[in-house]
Amino acid sequence: MADLDATYAAFAAERGLESVPALGLGALTPLLVESKHCQVEPAARGRLGGEVDGVVGHLAYTRNKTFRFNVALAEVPGSTAFVPRLFCVRRGRSTRDDEFYGFEARYSKLWTESTALNERYTISTSPYQDPNWMRQLFSPALVDYLASKPPADFSFELAYGALLGSVEADDPGADGLAALCEATAHVAARIARECGE
Amino acid sequence: MQINRTGYFLVALFGLLGLALCIGPALFGANLETSLIVASTGAIFILVAAGLAWYARHAKAKAAHQDWIFRNGIKGSATVVEVGNSHTTVNEMPLMKLTLALDIPGLDRREVSRREVMPVFTANRMEAGLTLPAYANPEDPAEFILVW
Repeated sequence: MADLDATYAAFAAERGLESVPALGLGALTPLLVESKHCQVEPAARGRLGGEVDGVVGHLAYTRNKTFRFNVALAEVPGSTAFVPRLFCVRRGRSTRDDEFYGFEARYSKLWTESTALNERYTISTSPYQDPNWMRQLFSPALVDYLASKPPADFSFELAYGALLGSVEADDPGADGLAALCEATAHVAARIARECGE
Repeated sequence: MQINRTGYFLVALFGLLGLALCIGPALFGANLETSLIVASTGAIFILVAAGLAWYARHAKAKAAHQDWIFRNGIKGSATVVEVGNSHTTVNEMPLMKLTLALDIPGLDRREVSRREVMPVFTANRMEAGLTLPAYANPEDPAEFILVW
């Protein structure tokens, strides 16, 4: 934990972010909800990349075993009217299995139009997400970016205007945090641009 | 709502177990009284399986209708005006009472009430002022689907 504190302190100092011991982010995305108090510790806030501000921090929760993520949170105002939920999760990332009952709400639909993305991510949206808007969002440039540029364990969740990028490394180091912030900011800027068009 | 793998498993389990209880005792030569008692239990199991299968079929037809509205509907938006919890849950998912300002192109903006079963995470994110996409049935604009 001391190493992680040092990593975040060094990263914050290097990027001119405000270092904070802990931050409660609220139940904004499914991954944050997994953590009991939706809290990241340690954390830093400020410019993630480009024109995007947000928070980066370490998220840990225990569900039989302890899961550790490093996450970057940014707001994408106005996205809910176009895409209420969009989850792009690394293939193979362990998630909860909530299938305890025989019937469930029609909650999500897989987006499978890009082979390059399918190899790396499981992408899901609302069952009634506008497919034309999705095709415009996932332009060839964004597909290329997501398929090749972010850290190998990168995933993101967009839920009701909150975008959470995450990597699974326990301590990704300052370079890993920088890559997480850059990827999250890139996705946030791309979604915001598409919502503005 | 839609049936999932667990649902199919339950339909098969109750159906096959019920069938086994109905015909098993007779096949193995049990006396009439025992056969009738066990068969009546089996009949209850079969009724449960039939009920689940009927509900799954009903949900599938409703989903197909909603899919049709999504494909052919008029796209607009719905802004959440008020959120209420009915304190009813379906498989641990809350039944939410939403008051929405529905804005569909070509139609007057109007306020409507809506009940939706939602996963807990989504239900907790519903708040006044949230604008969501909506699709109205072109043949019956009073009918719409809410994208959440």
